[in-house]
Amino acid sequence: MLEVRGLVKHFGGVRAVDGIDFAIRPGEVFGLIGPNGSGKSTTVNLVCGLYAPTQGQILFQGQDIARVATHKRLSLGLARTFQNIRLFTNLTVWENLWMAENAPAHRAEAGFLKRWVGGRGNARERISQALEFSGLAHRADDLAGSLAFGEQRRLELARALAARPRLLLLDEPAAGMNAEEIAQLDERIRMLQQQGYTILLIEHHMELVMAVTDRICVLNFGRKIAEGTPAQVQADPAVRDAYLGTGA
Amino acid sequence: MDFYYSLAQIIGFHALLGLSAYVVLLTGQVSLAQAGFFAIGAYVAAMFTVLAGWHLVPAMLAAGLAAAAMACIVGFPALRVRGLMLVIATLAFGEAVRLFFFNFDYQVAKGEVKVGPLGGEGFRQIRWFPEHGWTGLDVMLFVWTVVALVAGALWWLDRSRFGAVLRAVGEDELAAQSVGLNLTAVKVTAMTIGGFIAGLGGAIYAHYTTHIEHSNFGVLLATFAIAYPILGGLRNVLGTIVAVIFVQGFLVEGLRFLGDWRNLLFGALIVLAMNLRPNGLIDAATARRLARLFGREARRA
Amino acid sequence: MGFVDYVQAIIDGLLFGTTYSLIGIGFTLVFGVMHKINMSYAAASLAGAYCGLIGPQMLGLPPWSVFPLSIVAAGVIGYVIYLTCFRFIPLASPLATLMSTVGMLLLVDEIVVHATAGMPQNYPAIYDGDPIELGPFILRADLVGVFLICVVAMAVLLALLYRTRLGMATRAVAQQPVAAQLCGMRLQAVNGLTFVVAGLLGGVAGAMIGASVGMLSPLIAGTITVKGLIVTVIGGLGSIPGAIVAGLLVGAAENLFQAVRNVTERDIYVMLLLFAFLVLRPGGLFAAARGRD
Ligand SMILES: Nc1ncnc2c1ncn2[C@@H]1O[C@H](COP(=O)(O)OP(=O)(O)OP(=O)(O)O)[C@@H](O)[C@H]1O
Ligand SMILES: [Mg+2]
Repeated sequence: MLEVRGLVKHFGGVRAVDGIDFAIRPGEVFGLIGPNGSGKSTTVNLVCGLYAPTQGQILFQGQDIARVATHKRLSLGLARTFQNIRLFTNLTVWENLWMAENAPAHRAEAGFLKRWVGGRGNARERISQALEFSGLAHRADDLAGSLAFGEQRRLELARALAARPRLLLLDEPAAGMNAEEIAQLDERIRMLQQQGYTILLIEHHMELVMAVTDRICVLNFGRKIAEGTPAQVQADPAVRDAYLGTGA
Repeated sequence: MDFYYSLAQIIGFHALLGLSAYVVLLTGQVSLAQAGFFAIGAYVAAMFTVLAGWHLVPAMLAAGLAAAAMACIVGFPALRVRGLMLVIATLAFGEAVRLFFFNFDYQVAKGEVKVGPLGGEGFRQIRWFPEHGWTGLDVMLFVWTVVALVAGALWWLDRSRFGAVLRAVGEDELAAQSVGLNLTAVKVTAMTIGGFIAGLGGAIYAHYTTHIEHSNFGVLLATFAIAYPILGGLRNVLGTIVAVIFVQGFLVEGLRFLGDWRNLLFGALIVLAMNLRPNGLIDAATARRLARLFGREARRA
Repeated sequence: MGFVDYVQAIIDGLLFGTTYSLIGIGFTLVFGVMHKINMSYAAASLAGAYCGLIGPQMLGLPPWSVFPLSIVAAGVIGYVIYLTCFRFIPLASPLATLMSTVGMLLLVDEIVVHATAGMPQNYPAIYDGDPIELGPFILRADLVGVFLICVVAMAVLLALLYRTRLGMATRAVAQQPVAAQLCGMRLQAVNGLTFVVAGLLGGVAGAMIGASVGMLSPLIAGTITVKGLIVTVIGGLGSIPGAIVAGLLVGAAENLFQAVRNVTERDIYVMLLLFAFLVLRPGGLFAAARGRD
């Protein structure tokens, strides 16, 4: 589904990502973990096109997407959430989801004019599904900025889902959530996997990662130090070193 | 009565100017080029009615299209820069347009007299309204029909997905890209729409005053253009129109008895208003309070 | 018009360009510290120069008193602008400060028009000695004076920024406002002082513009505002060396355009120069490194 080969990103002297390789298979939940500053978010930003790689290849469904414009990557089937929530706070919850209706699937359903200057009618059903899934239906008409923190995280997820991606990139979706919310998230991720989504999950919350992922890639200082099933990774001494060594 | 007709016309074309800046502001771009598009509209429309003898309506459309085309062309390079750089770039563009008309001669003999733009002298004798026997009332109704059409179209646009897209881009460009919005396309479209509206406004202005010259289209006018939506708030088009009525009707006309002091007051009022209400006269909180007052959208509160 | 004339035009332009450099530095200083543009800056600088005229015209002071008075007045106006347009407006409302300074621009302009009844005011020259001849070229003595004074002003500014505690504080606030505050720097005080320093520089620029043109008129303010902003952009927002070089460049270029074409078309080409920079080098000559987002 997604393959990264020799990916490198330098910011001036900082080697945020320093030559990593991994491949995500269709239908799996793939974990990307590592201590703070190890280059996880940078990797997602590279895949989504917010940064251009210094070196390396990003293949999505066999196609090199390095030259694909950022906004077009969504229509290829890549949707993401942000670690530091980035919602359109002055739009309503409903409108936030409406923004993500740019995938080819939506194009087939409504013509150009209807999609851009049409009213809400033709999007209503799809969006209410996404809202139901994230448990935000009762807040559809509230401004996104007025939501509680946990709700904002869920809205980020819903917005990514509204784009009907093939691959979901979740950057620390559990950050700042309480135990109950994390349990819900766990359940949602499993449901999404059943529905056929492929997921890249970045998380610091180890219990969640170990519970939902099929395979995990561990980064440290921009390099891959381990890859394998949760059990293999947990047993890996290099991983322990990395985490204990940085005090996390 | 003629005084009020004339005032309503002034408010009308200033409303168009303000609305043109409103569209662009929704995408988070502060454009000081609107006076330039307004100038292009004014000159183009006047040249069509005076020199080519066109009817006003097609001349206005041509003016709008010319201004829109210019806005589209300017949009591409200008939108590569953002924020304050854009303010400066558009300011310079507006000045360039003004200076262009300062140097622009295109005169044609019509009977004994020569008509057409003549550099610093400006463009005189744009007399389409009187030549066609329109009264002040006719003109006023015409102007406000145009304003109503434009405002209505924008109102509808605001409620469509495109309106929300404009606001989304204005709020967070990065997130907008990540949900698949093409920033360049959205911003250039907004700029083009804004250019069209400003062009229409300029066309009306030229035929209202009958005499235009480059100095009408300076920084002051550009400031007015963005001041209306900023004062009125970006909630909806009505805010902008209310701001125009307030500024042109009350500050400029209502306070005429203050004479020269009025201009002093204008600058001072903007400074004061921004200190007291940094988010516009009608900011989000006020809008919600008003909405509650009228019982609508109570659930949003 | 021969080659010699063109070179002469460039020389005159370079000499006068130092005033643009100063205005550009003023815009850039405030931008560097607050990440805001003070649109009223150029108008305020000229207003300072007008205030200087009060000395000889109304108080009977000798003509040279114009210059120090202008500088001090512009510094005071700078602080007033800080108080009215920046101090109490939330940082998070960029539109509001932009608008308030535009309002201030209109206000300052109108006050000047009011005070002078819109009439141009004569301004004393800085020095009226014989022109200096350099082979086929002539250096106008007064322009040389303007040039020297502007260069001294820049040198004083740079010394202030890089050799004193105040300068260090200013640069610290520009780079890391939060950290600077944690280190005990008073943000408001530094911001206010920056406006005063920028104002003083503007005063020098305003007085020198008056001195080299021979008069001040309300029409100048708009042009200088636009030129100053163009200098700021070409130099790179926030870059002082950039503003200096860009000021000289714009000064020389506009004089050359004027010699090649004419005075009414001149400024169109200056705008085109800006657009060329925006397309080819949108970050300006000396783009400051972009921070993390
Ligand atoms: N735009 C940027 N400019 C400069 N340096 C950057 C930029 N983005 C990231 N970095 C640096 O790259 C390194 C990796 O950052 P990244 O955000 O990818 O880490 P992360 O693994 O997501 O960490 P966290 O768990 O804290 O989210 C860090 O040292 C960071 O400071
Ligand atoms: Mg991260």
